[in-house]
Amino acid sequence: MKAQDTLLYLDGVSVSFDGFRAINNLSLVLQTGEMRAIIGPNGAGKTTMMDIITGKTKPDAGDVYFNGEVDLTRHDEAEIALLGIGRKFQKPTVFESHTVEDNLVLALSGPRSAFSALFHRQSANEAERIEDILYTIRLNGKRDWLAANLSHGQKQWLEIGMLLAQDPKLLLVDEPVAGMTDAETAETAKLLREIAKTRSVLVVEHDMHFVRELDVKVTCLHEGSVLAEGSLDFVSNDQRVIEVYLGR
Amino acid sequence: MRLNRLLSVFILMLGFCCHIAQSNAQTVDDATLRPLVQALAGDNFENTTKAISDLVKTGDPRVSKILDALSAGDLYVAKADKTVFLGKRDGSDYAATDALTGAKLDPVPRSAAEKIKVNNRLRRDIAAAIGGLTLMSDNIAERRSAAEAILKTRDPESIPLLDQAIAVEKDAGVKALMQQAKAAAVLNSDAADDVKIAAITEVSAGNSRAALGLLTPLENVQGPVGEAAKAAIDSINTKLAFWNAIQNVVYGLSLGSVLLLAAIGLAITFGVMGVINMAHGEMVMIGAYTTFVVQQIIRTSAPGLFDYSLLIALPAAFLVSGGIGVVIERGIIRFLYGRPLETLLATWGISLVLQQAIRSWFGASNVQVGNPSWMAGSFDLGLLTLTWSRLWIIVFALSVFAILQLVLKKTMLGLRMRAVTQNRRMASSMGIRTPWVDALTFGLGSGIAGIAGVALSQIDNVSPNLGQGYIIDSFMVVVFGGVGNLWGTLVGAMSLGIANKFLEPFAGAVLGKIVVLVLIILFIQKRPRGLFALKGRAIEA
Amino acid sequence: MITQWFFTHVDRRGGIAIALLVAIALLVPLSNLLLPQTSPLHIPTYLVSLIGKYLTYALLAVALDLVWGFCGILSLGHGAFFALGGYAMGMYLMRQIGPRGVYADPVLPDFMVFLNWKELPWFWHGFDNFWFAALMVVLVPGALAFGFGWLAFRSRVTGVYLSIITQALTYALLLAFFRNDMGFGGNNGLTDFKDILGFNIQAGTTRSMLFAATALFLALAVFVSSFIIRSKLGKVLVGVRDAESRMRFLGYRVDRYKLFVWTISAMMAGIAGALYVPQVGIINPSEFEPANSIEAVIWVAVGGRGTIIGPIIGAVLVNFGKTYFTAAFPEIWLFALGALFIIVTLFLPKGILGLYGSWRTKLADRAARKKDSAPPPVAAENVHLPEPQAAE
Repeated sequence: MKAQDTLLYLDGVSVSFDGFRAINNLSLVLQTGEMRAIIGPNGAGKTTMMDIITGKTKPDAGDVYFNGEVDLTRHDEAEIALLGIGRKFQKPTVFESHTVEDNLVLALSGPRSAFSALFHRQSANEAERIEDILYTIRLNGKRDWLAANLSHGQKQWLEIGMLLAQDPKLLLVDEPVAGMTDAETAETAKLLREIAKTRSVLVVEHDMHFVRELDVKVTCLHEGSVLAEGSLDFVSNDQRVIEVYLGR
Repeated sequence: MRLNRLLSVFILMLGFCCHIAQSNAQTVDDATLRPLVQALAGDNFENTTKAISDLVKTGDPRVSKILDALSAGDLYVAKADKTVFLGKRDGSDYAATDALTGAKLDPVPRSAAEKIKVNNRLRRDIAAAIGGLTLMSDNIAERRSAAEAILKTRDPESIPLLDQAIAVEKDAGVKALMQQAKAAAVLNSDAADDVKIAAITEVSAGNSRAALGLLTPLENVQGPVGEAAKAAIDSINTKLAFWNAIQNVVYGLSLGSVLLLAAIGLAITFGVMGVINMAHGEMVMIGAYTTFVVQQIIRTSAPGLFDYSLLIALPAAFLVSGGIGVVIERGIIRFLYGRPLETLLATWGISLVLQQAIRSWFGASNVQVGNPSWMAGSFDLGLLTLTWSRLWIIVFALSVFAILQLVLKKTMLGLRMRAVTQNRRMASSMGIRTPWVDALTFGLGSGIAGIAGVALSQIDNVSPNLGQGYIIDSFMVVVFGGVGNLWGTLVGAMSLGIANKFLEPFAGAVLGKIVVLVLIILFIQKRPRGLFALKGRAIEA
Repeated sequence: MITQWFFTHVDRRGGIAIALLVAIALLVPLSNLLLPQTSPLHIPTYLVSLIGKYLTYALLAVALDLVWGFCGILSLGHGAFFALGGYAMGMYLMRQIGPRGVYADPVLPDFMVFLNWKELPWFWHGFDNFWFAALMVVLVPGALAFGFGWLAFRSRVTGVYLSIITQALTYALLLAFFRNDMGFGGNNGLTDFKDILGFNIQAGTTRSMLFAATALFLALAVFVSSFIIRSKLGKVLVGVRDAESRMRFLGYRVDRYKLFVWTISAMMAGIAGALYVPQVGIINPSEFEPANSIEAVIWVAVGGRGTIIGPIIGAVLVNFGKTYFTAAFPEIWLFALGALFIIVTLFLPKGILGLYGSWRTKLADRAARKKDSAPPPVAAENVHLPEPQAAE
């Protein structure tokens, strides 16, 4: 089949809410190890697309395959997460009443059953991985802080750290630099490029500076389907993209 | 034997025909009548029997009264002059009146008079005779009750009388009743098969439940009569099942209307605003108490207006409950937006306070709310008997629903209300004062609960606990129908009402209710957002 | 060894609570049984039973807090599990009456004789054994909770919807238990108990022992709750409470976690009911009243949800208030209770302990931040979120 040898394969996907077509015959292919940026105006269907990939929304029609063989439409969120798809939300969603460290402990890959959780004791290996991630996301000094007390940018990073702890094959990252300072934005781009060396990443972002810094293939969505795809320069010179999104 | 009886019946009929021919309940002069009355005091029962039949033949309306008295043992004969008089014991005397004219006579000492004896057979004859007489009465109510009496006794002897009466009866209703009675009596007689089969047809055209009672004994009779009875029973049963279903639907609609009334305010506060108002039932209760107060004022100051009391109570209850609702929203609920579970608890607290307030004020026991005359009584629809209150509740609930839809769709308040629910920030930046819209929306929902209270005061006990009985049902309706959708509430209320009524015959009222609750709990598992759910990203947030 | 194991699973406050409960489990019966009645330290039997009753409520509150405080499931039907546990115990106590009932039937309880029943219904068999009844005390509420939770959590019924259907559940049970032909004594319920485990249920010693058992079970419940909350499972539960879908995207089967804690909580509530019945001497359908379940919620809210011992404090305080008010000013009680609901939700969302606790964690957090050299974090509210309309 065509999905073979791809990491993520969407073909002819459509979904509508009460008559409104949020995703309309959308097709998108992501290769293993690829990082892709998704741009597009509000309501283009970016978040709905992520909902479909992560099993939150079931498409009305179309194929969604992961790893070339797994039909994602037949699995729920938890199963898809365990298959190796991690997701960062548009609004940073961390567990505010837990400490930074506990947030990572919860995200760390490992057995997920209630019984194992009840009698779970942290291994040396797990402690080491948490240490690594804390260092990577530059929060190692704040491991005992309640997540609620972190700054907006720090929460974004903690969430990225949680993604790393999950050890996914594919990361879906929704607007990672919203609300960040310029310096933080640059750092985040660096971090994502680092991550993309070992994993596949799908980034949704509005910040064109950030997208330029990522330096990857860009897909522009509009009204639920792909408007243009290619390098950033190619896409940003497309007449239709300028019309609906970038503006003249 | 049978021929003999038929013959005698025929002769009796003939006699009656002649008598009817000469006088349809017309008066015979006293001179003719008096010797006949005197003859009642005959030496033996046989003579008395003859005297009775002679009297009946006169057709005089006074006869039935005299025979009544005879049957009751109130007819006496003076030992001295053998005069027959109506007597009543009065000390050692009888207070006497003339049997015919009713004029007062001198009291007769008890020792000077003798009671005219009757035995059971005579009493039966008298009863039949009176039945026959009243079939001819001038008074339509008397004729009707006479026919009904025969329908009960099914005495074959009254067939000829009935034929007489049917021939001259002018009122269609009474005539039909008489024909029913006659058919019933025929079925009870030794009449020929074809006569009986005709009677079966006649009977099954009438009151179905009564017909079943008449026909069931015939079901096992061999021959055509039994078959005809069986067929008639089957068709009656089908008809009854049909009407039973209709009745369940109508009763279900009326229960559904009650649910709709109780739930529709909730559909606004919970469905439109997302506020869980556990004190909603108390808003209903306060509406009912407002009705009580309005009626008290009318009773003391303007009793003539009592029939309008509900009309006056409607706006009053809307304002009282709605006002309390606005106060609650401004005072408590607005601090809890976005925290639905806390809202639930706080409003539960409000409900306790309101209950206790009413209890302290009006007492813990029920107060009497009267029904205006137009709510009382009932009417027939096919085989159904419907009370007016049931019908009015349905009409009322549907009107409230319609008006509410109009308010939401066509008025400025409704437009703003919908704007605020859909996008609070946008609405507020367009200059809509969202806090006031919130307060008014909550007030509207509470006011409608108050209106529901006016209606419920007519069919339920008005006590401080009134609201508690409705709160769970109302939530079930709203959740079942789908939150944020008034049509869903309507369909939800009606289908729950009807489901309840259809389950009741099998499961009983309580078990039926339990079954419905369990079904809703299971239903919510299948469709967590209710029957008419909105879907999409906005809802998930 | 054991103490070390104990303290890895219980925090200091929980440890103190457990120690205190064990202490009163010993001291209260001793005071009641050994001290002369004239002694100022003597606790009269009625008071032992009264405090015992409060402690069963406290156990119910601990159970409720486990699901509401830590997992965000607001149950308005926990009274149902409490009552079912109570009925299981009541059935055992009924069978212990034996031929001493008014109708002196050796097998059938009085109400069955009165209803002209000829033999014991099948579901009454086995309840003459204490162990069987004790098993049913946890199994029946547990099974109901499991079935109900399995359906509800799997189809993601959450928030107020869940609260409302739990209320419908207890309401349906209320209606069912009012029926005579259910076989649980209808309106009157089960009462006139004589013995428990061969001891006269009215005797002072039995009452003291029941009290001790209640206090010990409460201590056990505090330990179990602490164990769960301090485990990774507890962290998952709090995660579910704060951001359920995030938990799902991390790969957790949220429904199973909820189902686990929900069922455990229902079993605890069942035990509470079973301890309640012999101490008050009756169980009837009114225990299923939705109002009872909501009242239990306010105990938790007053004491502080999301804390282990807050519910205990709340249950004891509110019920002490109820005993006092309903005797002294019956008119005032519902006003007071209603006001309590309003005041707690408006001004004390975390209850008495939560107020104290948040003050303490603030201090601890400040200390942790002082250690850190980083500049003070920007408060999340102050960050300006750019409108993502168009870039460039």
